[in-house]
Amino acid sequence: LYLSSVQSLDPLPMHGRDLDVHPEDFMETPDQGQDSKQEILENKDVVVQHVNIQGLGRTKEDLLGYEISDVFHAKNLIDVMKRAHVARQRLLRLGIFKDVEVLIDTSEGTDALPNGLDVTFEVTEVKRLTGSYNTMVGNNEGSMVLGLKLPNMLGRAEKLTFQFSYGTKETSYGLSFFKPQPGHFELSMETECQSNICVSLQFPLGVTNHTLKWEGVWRELGCLARSASFAVREESGHSLKSALSHTVSVDSRNSAIFPSRGALLRINQELAGYTGGDASFLKEDFELQLNRRLFWDSVLSASLWGGMLYPIGGQASCIADRFYLGGPTSVRGFGMYSIGPQSEGDYLGGEAYWAGGLHLYTPLPFRPGKGGFGDLFRTHFFLNAGNLCNLSYGDGPRAHLQKLAECIRWSYGAGIVLRLGNIARLELNYCVPMGVQSGDRICDGVQFGAGIRFL
Amino acid sequence: MVCRRYTNKAAEPWPENATLYQPLKEDQILLSDCASSLAVQAYLRMCGLPVQVFCRANAEYMSPSGKIPFIHVGNQVVSELGPIVQFTKAKGHSLSDGLDDVQRAEMKAYMELVNNMLLTAELYIQWCDDSTATEISRPRYSSPYSWPLNKILAYQKQWEVRRKMNAIGWGGKTLEQVYEDVSQCCQALSQRLGTQSYFFNKQPTELDALVFGHLFTILTTRLTSTELAERVKSYSNLLSFCRRIEQTYFEDKSS
Repeated sequence: LYLSSVQSLDPLPMHGRDLDVHPEDFMETPDQGQDSKQEILENKDVVVQHVNIQGLGRTKEDLLGYEISDVFHAKNLIDVMKRAHVARQRLLRLGIFKDVEVLIDTSEGTDALPNGLDVTFEVTEVKRLTGSYNTMVGNNEGSMVLGLKLPNMLGRAEKLTFQFSYGTKETSYGLSFFKPQPGHFELSMETECQSNICVSLQFPLGVTNHTLKWEGVWRELGCLARSASFAVREESGHSLKSALSHTVSVDSRNSAIFPSRGALLRINQELAGYTGGDASFLKEDFELQLNRRLFWDSVLSASLWGGMLYPIGGQASCIADRFYLGGPTSVRGFGMYSIGPQSEGDYLGGEAYWAGGLHLYTPLPFRPGKGGFGDLFRTHFFLNAGNLCNLSYGDGPRAHLQKLAECIRWSYGAGIVLRLGNIARLELNYCVPMGVQSGDRICDGVQFGAGIRFL
Repeated sequence: MVCRRYTNKAAEPWPENATLYQPLKEDQILLSDCASSLAVQAYLRMCGLPVQVFCRANAEYMSPSGKIPFIHVGNQVVSELGPIVQFTKAKGHSLSDGLDDVQRAEMKAYMELVNNMLLTAELYIQWCDDSTATEISRPRYSSPYSWPLNKILAYQKQWEVRRKMNAIGWGGKTLEQVYEDVSQCCQALSQRLGTQSYFFNKQPTELDALVFGHLFTILTTRLTSTELAERVKSYSNLLSFCRRIEQTYFEDKSS
């Protein structure tokens, strides 16, 4: 059985729901010097009369109006420069332009005002068909991805992608369609391997980001080994999951991989069974992360994960829907998914879990390679804890909480973390697992982990 | 010094909680699977080994070989009559110990006949005959699943069986020819049985269980036409054979 989901890497810097990337990451800090000159420029009143976009081929104009509309509200020269810069980022973020250059000039022509400005964006559209070759890192698996992309297919930044992925754990292929809507909405549709279809709508609401998704998955479970336990054998066969899910996330961190301040809260709900399919459940899970800078460039980070699965309609939960705990990306010091209910050495997952981590990140001792390669590394000291169990619903919520509080597994240790791009990280840790219950598989000593989402 | 003890799992006695798995009886199971399952159940009853029957929608996928029925005994999972007979033999239960080599070879030959003729005919009628496939087999096979998975799985199974029929040369046969093959098979069995109670001596063997499983299921399963059952009914000693085994081994408990 395989149970991890793999995120995609896009060669263009883009803000996408999978990448947890903030546009602020690409903004350069404005020049701080020369206050007197800045004062003069700030005091001069200007009006932006025209905004031109040169170099459009197949892109439709109405798409861009929203992105550049803010430039017209600039009051002085510095403001024009800032807003033009933001508009440039937004145009690049659409993923349809290879390059965008900004030109600010005084207005010319018969209707030119004395303090009028013209802002021109010179854009170079991307080719109609691009190919790509990437390597991808998921949670403890790696793969090569060949992609064929048609960006800006119909002129409104629609993107059609075909991907073929060959990896350590699975080989798959998929087709996806992505269309940004005016006002920061994004609609996407993806299918994978003829067995997985997903349609999602993503939009911001205030400081929160929401994603509404419908997913249809055809699951086929089978025993990989003759010696698989009977409890796993009983779950073999086909099932169809048709689920609606909603995710809300608030992310104020300054980076996805080594944040030094800010917090992340993500709450996800999934309801399966009311739109067809065999699987029928309500699943809730949340993720919370807090970061704070301490003395000497070190960062204290605390994270908490939790989730619960309620089967609906009396049938038992399916092994593919349950939660799993343990491994280099969750409670370190334990084998991959090797905590909790098991039968003859096969782990069956659980219907409720929680996991927490406390980390102290510091730069490498003596700071080798400072300002360059050395900044990609951190040393890290951690304390992880968690628990996973099944729930017998007749007992009531107090009994459930009590069950999760008994027999807590925890671990502590230290190691080195390497950042890969802005998406993933590699860790090499020395772990000491504690609170081990009979049946858990531990990995005490050195443990290596690669992935996107770490506890 | 440490002494490690290894147990011969095969030689452990038959436990009380042995179970047999098959597809859902009321809505899902098809003729061929029902026949195979009944044959195994008859065999185990003849050996005096208790087994509890569980019906699961995913029994076919649970089975290690993909075929049903399969039994779960202790820690081991064994599927299909042949391997199950070997398995019980290793535990010291056998119905064919009293046979000499010639008889044993004859028994194997007749079992091959039943598998190659009767079982294949059952599969043909279920999946290659369009009216049966549309009215009975596909709806029953896909009944535990929801749309569109039910359609996909049913057509996938039909395609797989038809491909196998083509591979063994049955693809070109007509329904009439298949009924003729069934008649010939029944004639051979009827001749071998003659007026005896069982095929060999006075004791039943695995051949009796296999023949009973198939003939009894054919006689008691409703298909789109009664032709198949009629062909079997024309051999009266086979009819009384089925009745006898049903009364001896199945009537004291509900089957």
